[in-house]
Amino acid sequence: MLALTLLCAVFAGTVQAQSADDDLRARLNALASGGFDETQRQIDAIAATGDPRAAPALEALSEGDLYFRQSDTAVFIVRKEGSGYRLQDPLTLEDTGTAGRREVKKIRVNNRLRRAIRTALGTLTLRAPDPAARIEAADAIFKAQDVDSIEPLDAALAAETDTDVARHMREARAAAVLASDRPTQDKLEAIATIAARGDRDARSLLTGISNGPDTALHEAANAAIAKVERVQGLWDTARNIWFGLSLGSVLLLAAIGLAITFGVMGVINMAHGEMVMLGAYTTFVVQSLFRTAAPEYFDYSLIVALPAAFLVAGLVGIAIERGIIRFLHDRPLETLLATWGVSLILQQSVRTIFGPTNQEVGNPSFMSGAFEIGQLTITYNRLWIVVFALVVFTVLLVAMKATRFGLYVRAVTQNRRMSASMGIRTPLVDALTFGLGSGIAGIAGVALSQIDNVSPNLGQSYIIDSFMVVVFGGVGNLWGTLLGAFTLGIANKFLEPVAGAVLAKILVLVFIILFIQKRPRGLFALKGRAVDA
Amino acid sequence: MAKAENLLYLDGVSVSFDGFKALNNLSFLIGRNEMRAIIGPNGAGKTTMMDVITGKTRPDEGTLRFDGKIDLTAHDEAEIAGFGIGRKFQKPTVFENQSVRDNLKLALKAPRGPFATLFHRDDAAQRARIDELLATIRLRDRETDLAGDLSHGQKQWLEIGMLLAQDPELLLIDEPAAGMTDAETAATADLLREIARTHSVVVVEHDMTFVRALGVKVTVLHEGSVLAEGSLDHVSSDQKVIDVYLGR
Amino acid sequence: MTLRFLSGGLTGGRIVMLALLVAAAILVPVLNLALPESHPLHVPTYAVTLMGKYLTYALLALALDLVWGYCGILSLGHAAFFALGGYAMGMYLMRQIGTRGVYGDPVLPDFMVFLNWQELPWYWYGFDAFPFAMLIALAAPGLLAFIFGWFAFRSRVTGVYLSIITQAMTYALLLAFFRNDMGFGGNNGLTDFKDILGFDIQSDATRAGLFAASALALAGGLVIAVAITASKLGKVLIAVRDAESRTRFLGYRVEHYKLFVWTVSAMMAGLAGALYVPQVGIINPGEFAPANSIEAVIWVAVGGRGTLVGPIIGAVLVNFAKSWFTAALPEFWLFALGGLFVFVTLFLPKGIVGLAKSAVQRLRRMREPQTPGRETKTPREMAAARPSEQAAE
Repeated sequence: MLALTLLCAVFAGTVQAQSADDDLRARLNALASGGFDETQRQIDAIAATGDPRAAPALEALSEGDLYFRQSDTAVFIVRKEGSGYRLQDPLTLEDTGTAGRREVKKIRVNNRLRRAIRTALGTLTLRAPDPAARIEAADAIFKAQDVDSIEPLDAALAAETDTDVARHMREARAAAVLASDRPTQDKLEAIATIAARGDRDARSLLTGISNGPDTALHEAANAAIAKVERVQGLWDTARNIWFGLSLGSVLLLAAIGLAITFGVMGVINMAHGEMVMLGAYTTFVVQSLFRTAAPEYFDYSLIVALPAAFLVAGLVGIAIERGIIRFLHDRPLETLLATWGVSLILQQSVRTIFGPTNQEVGNPSFMSGAFEIGQLTITYNRLWIVVFALVVFTVLLVAMKATRFGLYVRAVTQNRRMSASMGIRTPLVDALTFGLGSGIAGIAGVALSQIDNVSPNLGQSYIIDSFMVVVFGGVGNLWGTLLGAFTLGIANKFLEPVAGAVLAKILVLVFIILFIQKRPRGLFALKGRAVDA
Repeated sequence: MAKAENLLYLDGVSVSFDGFKALNNLSFLIGRNEMRAIIGPNGAGKTTMMDVITGKTRPDEGTLRFDGKIDLTAHDEAEIAGFGIGRKFQKPTVFENQSVRDNLKLALKAPRGPFATLFHRDDAAQRARIDELLATIRLRDRETDLAGDLSHGQKQWLEIGMLLAQDPELLLIDEPAAGMTDAETAATADLLREIARTHSVVVVEHDMTFVRALGVKVTVLHEGSVLAEGSLDHVSSDQKVIDVYLGR
Repeated sequence: MTLRFLSGGLTGGRIVMLALLVAAAILVPVLNLALPESHPLHVPTYAVTLMGKYLTYALLALALDLVWGYCGILSLGHAAFFALGGYAMGMYLMRQIGTRGVYGDPVLPDFMVFLNWQELPWYWYGFDAFPFAMLIALAAPGLLAFIFGWFAFRSRVTGVYLSIITQAMTYALLLAFFRNDMGFGGNNGLTDFKDILGFDIQSDATRAGLFAASALALAGGLVIAVAITASKLGKVLIAVRDAESRTRFLGYRVEHYKLFVWTVSAMMAGLAGALYVPQVGIINPGEFAPANSIEAVIWVAVGGRGTLVGPIIGAVLVNFAKSWFTAALPEFWLFALGGLFVFVTLFLPKGIVGLAKSAVQRLRRMREPQTPGRETKTPREMAAARPSEQAAE
């Protein structure tokens, strides 16, 4: 029983489609007969079907490529071929053979018909099955302010079920209304609709109205412009915050390892930037291996690069600690110099091995592209880096709170001597902390390779900013680093539009220099007698 | 109060570090030319008290007056030293890379500004005073040696010498007898009693023999406030004090 | 007047260094100008200029040593003061070009004409006068140091923090001077100088004169440094370096002392920069690069910090090595420099001069074993060689 019903439904559907097909074909064929008036009627009728499959035929008609066969008045889209024509079915666009010059005849059009065709086409694309195509059609009308499209838009709107598409259509209609000679009341409504859209296009459209001849509209337009500007101000703020978060997450990745080593050992690793650079080059090497060995798995290259970079940078870090820094215990200033020397050697090594030029590091597919929230374009690579930075931060936070190693690190940060006398092996903690800090710098390098040039100087461009984050955020508290990184990132991005990129950076540096007057040990400083000298 | 009777006045002084109360409503007085011994278990707040008096740590609340009128909470270490409060640290802190004589020269009462020191020239009186101090602290024959080459006890003495060179009204002395031989300890006690004739002295000490040798009024600190005050015999028979020292 | 201060500080090595500098100031120009090129003792002009450049670096190193070696302030931004002095000199030299520039504007330097500026910015006024330019070459770095130091030392920013902040300072200036609208020639800086005090800047005699000026400036700097470090102020500085907190409890306003020596040092660095620019013929924002400042630190470390003679030797040696490497094995220079940083901090903390000193002392002790420690005639020199990290508690 059920099967039978289903069968009937399918059959009915097919029949319906079949009849719609025949109907449209009949209307197309009808274009072949009658005068211009008759043709116009047919065009309007075709438009009224709202069937987008009619679009190619109408376009061909407008271009003068629509012919009918003398023998049976069947209509074809034709292309000149030799002395004859090649025929194409107007609906299915299938090749249906050739015809001699005498066998087919062009359907003539005049300018009035061409205009009718254009309107009909707009109507048809407004009814396209793909919502994106409908939005595109509406936006095209919006930009062109096509007065003739008002009625098709009304018709399309009546049939539209997708609210997003409907909004685009209403905006397109409003734009068209503003260009038309409709009554002022309609135009005022249109202005309201456009103001609600609130982007740059809306603004320029409204500016045009506010300069136009109709004084009644000026006030409304100006008010609308103010509203649009307010909306845009909000979006600009959102954009600055987003870019700031993006920069902040990069700074967080670069600085957090530095903050840990500074907190535990009281030394600043000047080669920290080079650990980032090593991480980026590890990514490059891993990707090169993927490209040659398994190009189809290229998207997974970063997943391999992360632990690889952590290991490479971490091991180099441990080597630096064991080889140099432990001998400079209690001489933090000399450690600055020695690690600077290491950074020069690492830079030059990489330059010697890989050459001084930028290396090509690819984005896997999930990190390419972008999406939009309102007027805000968010690229996937930036988004993933923000997410990644927060994940790294959280993991580190948990590791510091919940693991024995974290406990040791916190203990040594607060009071090294006491920790040592309680049996914590501080040299081991030092080495592992340095390895951890460097390893995190390494994975920061993986992230940075996705948005920046991979060159031997990569580390240098982030190191001073990372220092500033550490100085600003204070040591011994990961939250300070988080807050410091995002504050500096966002501050930078808010200053940039006002002062320019370079001046913004200078202002931030000056701000930090002044800030540490008030809080010499950063936002979150350890207090008490233990912190001295 | 023209010339205040009490040289140092602490009232309701509290300091906390991240929630830990190092000093809790601490109040006491030090009279002019009085020597006072401060004792108390570890963490009682002895060093923090010195930090507060010398301007290293700012109290969260409370009154701190020196010589009746000077509000110590409003000044930094250098100014407070200038008012006449000298401090000797628990761990002997001398300028190890400079000679014994230079250490005393740096401490010697004289104008402290950079230009004053740039154009400074030793005069005979100053040289004589340094010689005198060298004799007092028994380091005459080591005057050109680096302070860092001295023994632990000698460093303690040098630091006391530096304190004397400053000629302060109030001396704060943190564990002067630590790491000294018995003979040195006795000599130190003698020296402090000598000093106390003309100065006010606050001595923080763990060594009860030393405190007994000083023979002065004792203040017992516990958890940042005063637990007991009086002669050593008096406080050591106090049940609270016994509990604090032995009970935990 | 000065001699009185010097009495305690003029030890053997320093006297020799002063004599050498004065002798060089006289002899090198003579050997360059008076002898024919074929003469075996003739000093070619390029060598005169190269040595003159080294001497300005030595003055920068000396200035750095004054704050690092004697007061424990590791500045990673001293190149900023050097460059500011250099820019002051550069501005004077630009104004001297006059109508000989590419655009032939009598007042505006070429880069301003190129940027379509109509008139000279106010801060360029007065730089056509040499004395004014020299005043600014000292005052600009001095003022910057004073303001920076006043903030930093008052709030007791010390150690690694201070070093990082000085680096940020020079980095901020680097970025600022790269900007065209700062009015200092942007990326390209100031160059194409023609003459100084009316003398052709390219001529042998001017070059020899600049060398002599550099040697004498270095000698003067050395005398000032000796006077400062030998005074009681010098002893306070060492006290600050070794036990800052203790010094405070003695009643010294540590921030004032730091500010004094910091500002003097910055002015000395500014003078070095002013002498450097006419010899190399260009000043650009690259001089502010943090790497330059750190490189200057290693000159001091190699020679021996806290020794006054050491930084001079270190600056000349390292830069000589740099010249040699960049000509012979350019790709190895950074390896060598990086290795030098590591080697010196690990194995040569006292530097060359410090090493020599302790060797001499060991010899003397061997000869007179009965009086150990008595031979340390200049404790502060020893001091610098082994700084101890003395906490005040």
